Amino acid sequence: MDKILLKKALHQWVKKLHAYRIYAPSKDGDIWTYEALTGSEGFDPDFRTTALSPKKIIFPQREVYFQFEKKDGDNNSIKETLPEDESAIVLGVRPCDARALTLTDKVFGGDFKDLYYWKRRNQTILVGMACITPPSPNCFCLSVDGSPHSKEGLDILLTDLGEKYYVQSLTKKGDQLLNLAKNLFTQPGAADKRDLQKIQTESEKKIKRQIDNLKKVPPKLKGMWDSPFWDEEAMSCLRCGICTYMCPTCHCFDINDEIHSSAPLKGERIRTWDTCQFPDFTMHSSGHNPRPDKAARLRQRIMHKFQYFLEIHKNYQCTGCGRCVTKCPVSIDIIEVLEKVRDYGS
Amino acid sequence: MVNVEDLRKEAQRILREGKVKYVIGYEKDQNGLLPKPAFIEEPEDVARLIWNPTCVHNLTKFLVDEKKRKALEKKPDNRPVGIVVKGCDSRAIVVLLQEKYIEREDVHILGMSCERNGVIDEKKLAKKLKGQNAENVEIDEDGNFVVTSANKTIKFQAEELLAERCLECPANYPVIYDLLLGEKAKKKAAEPFKSLGKMESLSEEERWAFWTEQLSKCIRCYACRSACPMCYCDECVVDTINFAVTADTTASEKAGKIKWVEKSPVPSENFVYHMVRAMHLAGRCIDCGECERVCPLDIPLRFLNKKLEKEAKELFGYDAGFDPNKPSLVSSFKDEDPEDFIR
Amino acid sequence: MDHNTYIPKLAKIIDIKEEVNGARAIKTFRTQFLEDNGFSHQSGQCAMLSVFGKGESMISISSSPLVKDYLQFSILKMGRVTSALHEMQVGDIIGIRGPYGNSFPIEKWKGKNLIFIGGGIGLAPLWSVLNTALGNKKDFGNLTLFYGARTSKDIVFKQELEELKNQMTVHLSIDVEEPDWQEYVGFVPLNILDKKPSAKNAITITCGPPIMIKFAIQNLQALGFKDEQIFTTVENKMKCGIGKCGRCNIGLHYVCKDGPVYSWAELKNLPQEY
Repeated sequence: MDKILLKKALHQWVKKLHAYRIYAPSKDGDIWTYEALTGSEGFDPDFRTTALSPKKIIFPQREVYFQFEKKDGDNNSIKETLPEDESAIVLGVRPCDARALTLTDKVFGGDFKDLYYWKRRNQTILVGMACITPPSPNCFCLSVDGSPHSKEGLDILLTDLGEKYYVQSLTKKGDQLLNLAKNLFTQPGAADKRDLQKIQTESEKKIKRQIDNLKKVPPKLKGMWDSPFWDEEAMSCLRCGICTYMCPTCHCFDINDEIHSSAPLKGERIRTWDTCQFPDFTMHSSGHNPRPDKAARLRQRIMHKFQYFLEIHKNYQCTGCGRCVTKCPVSIDIIEVLEKVRDYGS
Repeated sequence: MVNVEDLRKEAQRILREGKVKYVIGYEKDQNGLLPKPAFIEEPEDVARLIWNPTCVHNLTKFLVDEKKRKALEKKPDNRPVGIVVKGCDSRAIVVLLQEKYIEREDVHILGMSCERNGVIDEKKLAKKLKGQNAENVEIDEDGNFVVTSANKTIKFQAEELLAERCLECPANYPVIYDLLLGEKAKKKAAEPFKSLGKMESLSEEERWAFWTEQLSKCIRCYACRSACPMCYCDECVVDTINFAVTADTTASEKAGKIKWVEKSPVPSENFVYHMVRAMHLAGRCIDCGECERVCPLDIPLRFLNKKLEKEAKELFGYDAGFDPNKPSLVSSFKDEDPEDFIR
Repeated sequence: MDHNTYIPKLAKIIDIKEEVNGARAIKTFRTQFLEDNGFSHQSGQCAMLSVFGKGESMISISSSPLVKDYLQFSILKMGRVTSALHEMQVGDIIGIRGPYGNSFPIEKWKGKNLIFIGGGIGLAPLWSVLNTALGNKKDFGNLTLFYGARTSKDIVFKQELEELKNQMTVHLSIDVEEPDWQEYVGFVPLNILDKKPSAKNAITITCGPPIMIKFAIQNLQALGFKDEQIFTTVENKMKCGIGKCGRCNIGLHYVCKDGPVYSWAELKNLPQEY
């Protein structure tokens, strides 16, 4: 359903949502990150982009799979530790980050559903904020089948019309949130709908960066396996994990046992984020490493995002948020790399 | 005033004469303010090299990369590489030479003086421009910073935009070089270690609370370690698997490798990682500031290394990175070293 | 209620056999689940073995699905988890989750001659499908095994191989001469060329060190085997075992999920990144 919410009523609506744990972008120095609101502060809608996407709420960097224990004389025991029941709302989700969650959904679903991911996913309601102007100078969502007003993955989308928000509730969960403060929401008029249309069209024009003919890239990549292109592009790569850790669509992880006590044995099996850009990601115990150098790892990142994932899931594994471009310490720019791939050999 | 043409001429000469394999320098990034690291192989390409106050990166990390790459090649090209360095960067080279990680013949150093100034702090600039993007920053004859933004130029006093470390820099000109461009002029630095003042005035509890909050943000992307030229170990304390594995490494050796730090990015592990790294850099860090610049979550890492730099100076009278012939701090001792820990 | 595949089922080690001693030690373990849980597998599939406190390791199940009393794993001592396994005793508890991966398309091989080619520890992943074929001998043509190791001390399943000779053709080899060795001396791929198995109506399944597989495939092709007739299993570093953590990704595949069984026709089209 479509509604109007006056800007000055936003606070009151958020207050009505107190039964949920609310995550919203909050500022720490110059950096915005999604943090749980502790009650006194409200939701500040004047943020641009966050350092980490809201993926970290659904797919946290550390997840406990189970606890294990071996008491003397007893057998080993395992205690499954699924995420706690917690109805949560994330406010201020950018369309690219919400769309990214629909992509990680494909990975964590399928055969062998990942129950940890889905428990959090199903109990979290996503309230989006359309991008009137691009949050980052490196946004390129339009080039990867996204848009600054995309509804994919969201339960509610708010668009700033000036003095009010155009509120689009897209799911039953979204409707539930609106119903908690029925009196704050009014029907949109024809002028509102026109304004929405206008703002959406304008917001698309403001996106400065784009990759023309991105669809030429996947077939080109197929022929570039042995190309020295990757050595050249990866020359300045520092082998850190910034591009993949900031990325809202990346999902690689590691599983390790952490021991709290050896005798009696007590510990936890932990899942943590991991990245294909670290040298030890693919290293076998024998010392053999199928991707021994930076060039192979950069090639993997680009091919996985723009060829393998595309063929398997019919979507680029990228929603154009621009974080990897902005944060790379040596300015390796994925848009430039893709343009070079597209034009390679011509 | 430094003329970038002189740099390009010299780079072209050493490439043309085959004296170096390639030259590491800075080149313009069409889509951002900071330059990209450039690896110039052909003499015709030297026009790509730039030099201005946006050249913040410490390129000496790529000398470490070069050494590791050569180690894997069957018939490596043993010619040196050319490298464009600032004062701080040159001191990183000195440390690598002191530690015998590289030889003097491995580098052809193109030294650039910061001419009593230094490089910009991107965040300070962003605040001044109130969110507008900058395209370029140049230095004028008076030592002011001229910023180009949205097709306009704005002049700033250097102090308004200089990186914190530049304000405390002991010598903003290269201390080792094959070519030096610009004056060997020492600018009047602010009181050394001034930035530590506030931190040192906090109580132990306040400092613990500060660092617990800051290090809770850490996502262990290891960008700080990756950007640091002095972090060149093949196997780091945080690595949970053996890197230096050969066909002769036994399973027991691999099984016995101690996990010093868990992969979980929780405060206890993050503390261990950062503290150990800072200790391993004591007496070696030359404050290029890269660790803090690259951190995607703005953790003020420089404080940790700066504090140990101060201790090295106060306890042992040691300044890192000035004399390649001097032994490194942690691998030498003098009779007069303090011994108050012996009771 | 969705099943949480990450939770291992507890199993007891009921038997340990030392196959090979020394630096490249191999032990064969037989395990029994503490509780009945309906675990069943197909030949070629693997399971994640857990040593609580150390971690997990993906090992192929070398017992045939025809065996109901236990699961068998042959494990080469290589790193942290496998070293911990080697230190375990009969009666110790480990975790097992799975089965994961695809299996040998043994149904499609009915009526054909099956040629198994193994090197070193590579006999273990073959053991399951070999015994399944033996258990249904009438469904298949001739069964042949080529197996070799560096030295006679590195041969696994020594006793079982002796018994096998009564049921199928077995060609053993070691790399270098030894005083009491009566059979072929030389690498396994060369033994294949020596014995010249016929490609007619045949399927070969090969498993062993990458270099052995490479030359075995070359020599099989020289003998007229088509790429669709050659099968192998691929090894890669794995953590989740279910195609989500990204570690074993090669091209469009996750080895833990879309493999480890591949025909050469499929495998040659994947990036050589394993």
